[in-house]
Amino acid sequence: MNLTSAAPDGRADALLTSFERAGYARVMPAILQPAEPFLDLSGEDIRKRMYLTTDPHGRELCLRPDLTIPVSRDYLASPAAGAPQAFCYLGPVFRHRAEGAGEFLQAGIESFGRPDKAAADAEMLALGLEATAHYGLDAPDIRVGDVALFSALIAALDLAPAWKRRLIKDFNHKTSLLQDLDRLAISASHARPEYQGVLAALAGSDPKAAHALVTDLLSIAGITAVGGRSVGEIADRFLEQSALGAQTSLPRETRALIEKFLAIGGDPDEAAADLRAFAREVRIALDAPLDLFESRTGFLAARGVDVGRIRFSTAFGRGLDYYTGFVFELYDPSAPAAGQLVAGGRYDGLLTRLGSASAISAVGFAVWIERLAQLRGAP
Amino acid sequence: MTAPFVIAVPAKGRLQQNAEAFFARTGLELVKPRGMRDYRGAITDLPDVEVAYLSAAEIVDLLAQGAVHFGVTGEDLVREKIADADKHVILIDGLGFGHANVVVAVPQAWIDVHSMADLDDVATAFRLKHERKMRLATKYVNLTRNFFSAHGITDYRIVESAGATEGAPAAGTAELIVDITTTGATLAANGLRVIEDGVILRSQANLVAARAANWGAAEREMARIVLDRIASQTRARAFREVRTRFAGCDAALLAEAKDRFGVETPFGGPTSSGMLTLHCPPQHVHALATRLREKGAENVVVADIGYVFSRANPLYAKLEAGLT
Repeated sequence: MNLTSAAPDGRADALLTSFERAGYARVMPAILQPAEPFLDLSGEDIRKRMYLTTDPHGRELCLRPDLTIPVSRDYLASPAAGAPQAFCYLGPVFRHRAEGAGEFLQAGIESFGRPDKAAADAEMLALGLEATAHYGLDAPDIRVGDVALFSALIAALDLAPAWKRRLIKDFNHKTSLLQDLDRLAISASHARPEYQGVLAALAGSDPKAAHALVTDLLSIAGITAVGGRSVGEIADRFLEQSALGAQTSLPRETRALIEKFLAIGGDPDEAAADLRAFAREVRIALDAPLDLFESRTGFLAARGVDVGRIRFSTAFGRGLDYYTGFVFELYDPSAPAAGQLVAGGRYDGLLTRLGSASAISAVGFAVWIERLAQLRGAP
Repeated sequence: MTAPFVIAVPAKGRLQQNAEAFFARTGLELVKPRGMRDYRGAITDLPDVEVAYLSAAEIVDLLAQGAVHFGVTGEDLVREKIADADKHVILIDGLGFGHANVVVAVPQAWIDVHSMADLDDVATAFRLKHERKMRLATKYVNLTRNFFSAHGITDYRIVESAGATEGAPAAGTAELIVDITTTGATLAANGLRVIEDGVILRSQANLVAARAANWGAAEREMARIVLDRIASQTRARAFREVRTRFAGCDAALLAEAKDRFGVETPFGGPTSSGMLTLHCPPQHVHALATRLREKGAENVVVADIGYVFSRANPLYAKLEAGLT
């Protein structure tokens, strides 16, 4: 294991200075962090990659595996919480990795509370491109997606709630949902055979009456709330199963529609035109996310980004369920397998999940300093 | 051999009694020459072997480090505590005691949840409704994470539990649990039910070898002797000896007996005088005896077997294969 220190070279400090000049205040959150928010937001799978410890009171602590959550928590705890604030950072993060040291450097930016989302999104990508240019890579591969488009499509579809949850979850956790649509099936077939008759009978009845019946039955058994789920929730999902009936795979026309949507990509202008045509054809309103999308492209062009080089895909996600809109990753075109050099996006739900009472918009990105420093041809 | 050959055995409770009884049956008598409270023991007729009495969890740690050669412990602990367990230890044989399943259990009132696929959907619905993830109480953090990951379930949080895990949902500290169960009675008493495809592991006490231990020629020879004793007894316990003598015994009858009753012929077919020795699984002894008499046997003698020492030693073969 390489345990030599990962001291930033001069270029990283210069990068931070340029972020500061752009109006981002440099912050240095604590390295030792409570483990809970990372596990809660990134999922239990991150646990095996975290350096965990326990304090004398039994609280789980960790060496920060990223800086987005620490910067967000410090912002929420500050008097400025809720107001527009812009931060940048440079420092070590800690993750068990199959290759490479467990401690490595990340720089990045977090922007909170900006109402002009399209402009803020564009600024993130532009600053990310400045970071690779700072290390001598002027034309990285630019991969872009927009989670809000998929969410809007699914919300508008006439599908059972179980199906919508499943599709959103799979979109967030699979690199390509498209390949998985074939195998996608949900659990109505697992419903107990002895309940099938009851479920079939309830399927045709008044939803309110059916809900009342199931709630009453559970109440007779003395059950009020078990394991954090209320009787009402249990009844709701029990009845959802009846609505699903024998429909255990996605209806063919819905599948075809989702596949068609996920095949749309290209440069942002082409993609927007294709998406407008798609929305008209299937009569689904995607106006709000598409307006934002086109406005963002305009801001990118205004910042001097060569929009024609952006590879947008409707199927592109970043594998974390806290992203809510624009997402992007920058790669070295000669070594894409080395991993992303810069990556980020919009996560408007994150601060609420971290305890904020009101919704606060948030967008940012992280920079993998060691990867940039090792770029071929870099000085 | 400079360092002793160490076998780690559970230090207390039913697991210790069962382990001692197991070794006694194999003719390996565990003794504590310095008294009952001592945590170091020996085996009566194998002076080069040291027996270390430890907690089941410590045994797993020492196996992972290679600080002991053999250990007796539950497969559940091995798989939970050692990442990539098969790279570090060899599970040589299940010992037939300490049976328990590691299972996913939910409140009985969750009438809409029967499969892991249901749980996946409920987990996501729960997060969307409550703005937090479902909590799962367990001491099997790694087994749980791997099993849930294999089922694609991401919307849950693990709450580590030191004891009385089954009480967590009623106490309001978790929504569901992963715990060990033998009969399911404790789960039912706490209003919980096992999910149909939610059995993570069917565990029992195992004889486990540490790959990282020192395995020189002397240690391998010692392992061969110990495993020879165990194999001889394992085989003996799995069969009854059936002896008879009659003229009508032929190859066709032997083939039928092997096929129908799973018998083994330790000494081959009948001798010239018609003497036949078979090893038959206990559950087929009566059917076999009936069949042999139908074919003309006057008497069929069935006896328990003390030991079966074979040239082949499947347990040692497994160790050798695992160490290379």
